[in-house]
Amino acid sequence: MKTLQAKGVSKSFGGLKALSDVSIEVRPGEIHGLIGPNGSGKTTLLNMICGYYRVDDGRILLGDEDLTGQDIQTRARLGIARTFQKPRLLQDLTVLENAMLGAWTDHEASFLETAFALPRNRKDEARSRDYARELLHGVGLGYAVDRRANLLEHGEQRFLEVARALALRPRFVLLDEPAGGLTDHEIDSLERIVLTLKDAGIGVLIVEHHTDFVFRISDRVTVLHLGRLLKHGDPHTVETDQEVINVYLGA
Amino acid sequence: MSPNVRKFIGALAFLVVAAALPFVTDNIYYIRIATLIGIYWILVAGLNLVIGYCGQISIGHVGLLALGAYCFAILAGKAGVDPWVATAASALLGGLCGLALGLPSLRLPGFYFAMTTLAFGMIVAELSVAWEWLTGGGVGLMVPFYPGEFASPWGFYWLVVGIAAIVSWLVWNLGRHAWGRAMISVRDSEVAAAAVGVPIYKIKLYVFTFSGVLAGLAGALFASYQSYITPETFVFELSMFFFVCIVVGGRGSILGPFIGVIVLAALPEIVAPLAKLGTFFYGVLLLIVVLLLPEGIGNLIHILRDRFNPIERRSSGIVPDLERLAAALRQGGMK
Repeated sequence: MKTLQAKGVSKSFGGLKALSDVSIEVRPGEIHGLIGPNGSGKTTLLNMICGYYRVDDGRILLGDEDLTGQDIQTRARLGIARTFQKPRLLQDLTVLENAMLGAWTDHEASFLETAFALPRNRKDEARSRDYARELLHGVGLGYAVDRRANLLEHGEQRFLEVARALALRPRFVLLDEPAGGLTDHEIDSLERIVLTLKDAGIGVLIVEHHTDFVFRISDRVTVLHLGRLLKHGDPHTVETDQEVINVYLGA
Repeated sequence: MSPNVRKFIGALAFLVVAAALPFVTDNIYYIRIATLIGIYWILVAGLNLVIGYCGQISIGHVGLLALGAYCFAILAGKAGVDPWVATAASALLGGLCGLALGLPSLRLPGFYFAMTTLAFGMIVAELSVAWEWLTGGGVGLMVPFYPGEFASPWGFYWLVVGIAAIVSWLVWNLGRHAWGRAMISVRDSEVAAAAVGVPIYKIKLYVFTFSGVLAGLAGALFASYQSYITPETFVFELSMFFFVCIVVGGRGSILGPFIGVIVLAALPEIVAPLAKLGTFFYGVLLLIVVLLLPEGIGNLIHILRDRFNPIERRSSGIVPDLERLAAALRQGGMK
């Protein structure tokens, strides 16, 4: 089973050292929580794993495969999906179409095959439509498949982002503050969805501020502070660590 | 009946009406206007994918139109090549020039891309004057009619309607399938597009090249329609006209820009007072749409539907169906 790893990665923006020598590993079927104060480099790390930023130093690995030089699209093709802190949906399209966008890498029809609506295009469309619809029903948006995305409430947008990421058929999903702005009821739904992903063998990396949610759900937790690795281990060890309490959790 | 089937039937009905126009009126003037609308639409249909779907603003398409037109005039007129072969050559040349222009410029951010297309339009305009040996310079070139039945105003009209119908079908297929979603993701969020694996540059390049093919094709028809072309035929205002049609019509819509072309091309011809106003009319219309209806007339239906059909809110909130989710994930498998 391939793991997804960042090994000794560093990143600077201008003179600001955002991350120095941080390593993290996500295993298939594992929920890995990534927490830390604002500006500790959580999202930067996530952006380097998915390929949105290049690392200055260090490597990103999927199993034995070195992804460090690969662009974000190649990483998506290899099965790394993500969601965004601020949902990035296509407002003019329907919920179903938004989810179908996630299946882009499984579409085989070329530009001309699409223009002439040749069989391969129809097959692609039918397959991704069916799959996206199942996923939307699965995450609880079945009632909204034909609604346009700009009519969704905040919570619904977050769940649609998850469905779009899943439409990629990912090995690993990177969730960037998925619980931000959700109601308690929605956080509970999100939790059960993430646990279902874990059971399906998907590795999940969660960047999150709701620490109780993270400690409840994660198999392992990594804490960043000022761009450095402060602590990592099982939730209980991290939660009770004096240094983590001092810089982040508070007394 | 699914919305797509309804739209298809609507389009077929419109096609029948459009094809019947010569039986309704024997006023050649109207046939000529309708022909011109069809030619404009062939270009705008492709440009709409560039502007309305990919969000890349090109204001140099009049250059591609001119290239297609001169290619047709030189081959079919001066060189005596078969007009059908010359038409294909115009489309090919439009595509090649679109590709050559897009290759370096589509990597640039939007503003700089728009500037390169503007520069391209200016270069073509200048060359059409300067290369007198080829283009006839300021004097221009005679352009032959299409052969046989297609030489008459009606025959030519039907030819244009036929090509426009095929082009509409192509862009409709592109717009509503995976490629269309990918184009809109390039327009609305390059970050989200890249994260699901959409190759942004490749999408833009394919679409822009395709728009070049259609602009070249429209150029050939436009030249024959004018029967005489000079550099004055391809004024910069034409590029503005195409752009306004798309903005007024509405982004991400195919019907909208189509209505835009019809309204903007036909109204000044039919309503005489508007013709006197000239570009003033376009300016006012653009202002009204941008200020009052920024999503364009093509999205009016959506806006009205949203306003008068409020969606029911769910008090129960989102309830995941975990068994269905697990089954879907099992069935879908992993990369």
